[in-house]
Amino acid sequence: MAKSAVPSRIPPCAICGEPAVICQPAQKRHLCGTHLIQDLETRAAATIREGDLIHPGDRIAVGLSGGKDSTALLVILSRLLPGLPEVKIVAITVDEGIAGYRSDTIKSAEALTRRLGVEHRMVSFRDLIGSDLDTLLLGRGKQACTICGILRKKALMDAARDSGATVIATGHNLDDEAQSVLMNALRGDLPRLVRDAGAGRSAHFLPRIKPLAAIAEKEIAAYLFVQDLFPVLPECPYTRYALRADVRSLLAGLESRYPGTTASLGESKKKIRGYCAGTPVMTPLNRCGECGDPCSGDLCQVCRLRHSLERGRDS
Amino acid sequence: MHRALLPSFRESMRVLLPDQGIRVIDWGPGTVAALLQELGINPLEVMVARNGALVPEQAAIGGDDEIRIIRIAHGG
Repeated sequence: MAKSAVPSRIPPCAICGEPAVICQPAQKRHLCGTHLIQDLETRAAATIREGDLIHPGDRIAVGLSGGKDSTALLVILSRLLPGLPEVKIVAITVDEGIAGYRSDTIKSAEALTRRLGVEHRMVSFRDLIGSDLDTLLLGRGKQACTICGILRKKALMDAARDSGATVIATGHNLDDEAQSVLMNALRGDLPRLVRDAGAGRSAHFLPRIKPLAAIAEKEIAAYLFVQDLFPVLPECPYTRYALRADVRSLLAGLESRYPGTTASLGESKKKIRGYCAGTPVMTPLNRCGECGDPCSGDLCQVCRLRHSLERGRDS
Repeated sequence: MHRALLPSFRESMRVLLPDQGIRVIDWGPGTVAALLQELGINPLEVMVARNGALVPEQAAIGGDDEIRIIRIAHGG
């Protein structure tokens, strides 16, 4: 480690006075590594408790891509387990078959589940639809995230049901939530903006919970870094086609000039849902006419996609 | 600003960039925030380690520090 001739002017932790590792503008303070870890785990526990996200006896299927958010989610849930009565965890990794990317993140996921002693299941797009994503996307690069999102959600749901899970947990963070609000507003998709995937439990509909939804992306990265758990991995090669990439960049710029923008946007979803309660915007779910999965139309997105791909192959 | 005000304090600071490139910068005492601004990097999109330890944007850096800028890749 290089020695510095510069006086070590690092802001102190607001709790213990040790050198800080992060600034939390919303809380107007700095935290050291130890108290950052405590803070994030406490906040995730509060999100779970206040949202009644986990019930005694739940079997939680954690969507584990091997990236930073799902890594943090699995670490935090594993640590909170002793306080969650009779709750079990199974990690599920979906292999889309993206060359030069997914195999690295899968190795990271496998190493993590071995380290934490968590059951781990793998499923693939090849299992689900008979093809990997790279092949499916030939000539359709711009639809990458849409197609991947539909299939990954289905793969995760099916694997979670097969494993006996009662709830699915994903690592979506505050920045993801804010980006989704803005993306759905830009698309004029109000029903999707207000949809609550965490509501309702039934044999066919597993609720999806987001314990990290109140935690900023940078906090999650720092949480892992200070514990030598930060996965240094490439970004998905299809990111460049995504509206989300542009929205992310836009929000990062706005947040740095107008601190609090991301949190306000992320929290606005609940408010908008409240205003829309009881209106036609909140459309009830139907069942897909082909596979029986819950959907908002006559066919679910996966079945519609399957038809579209078959039409593409036949033409 | 830092180079002009304190010319006698110039030392070479190694900066490891997110793309694995390395820059050696003549840098007087200044903050992480100032360095990121100089490099055109949004602090919200990266973490910065000073001699291996994570530091917030308000931390002072300079001298013969080794600075590593780590991009926070999107995707969970």
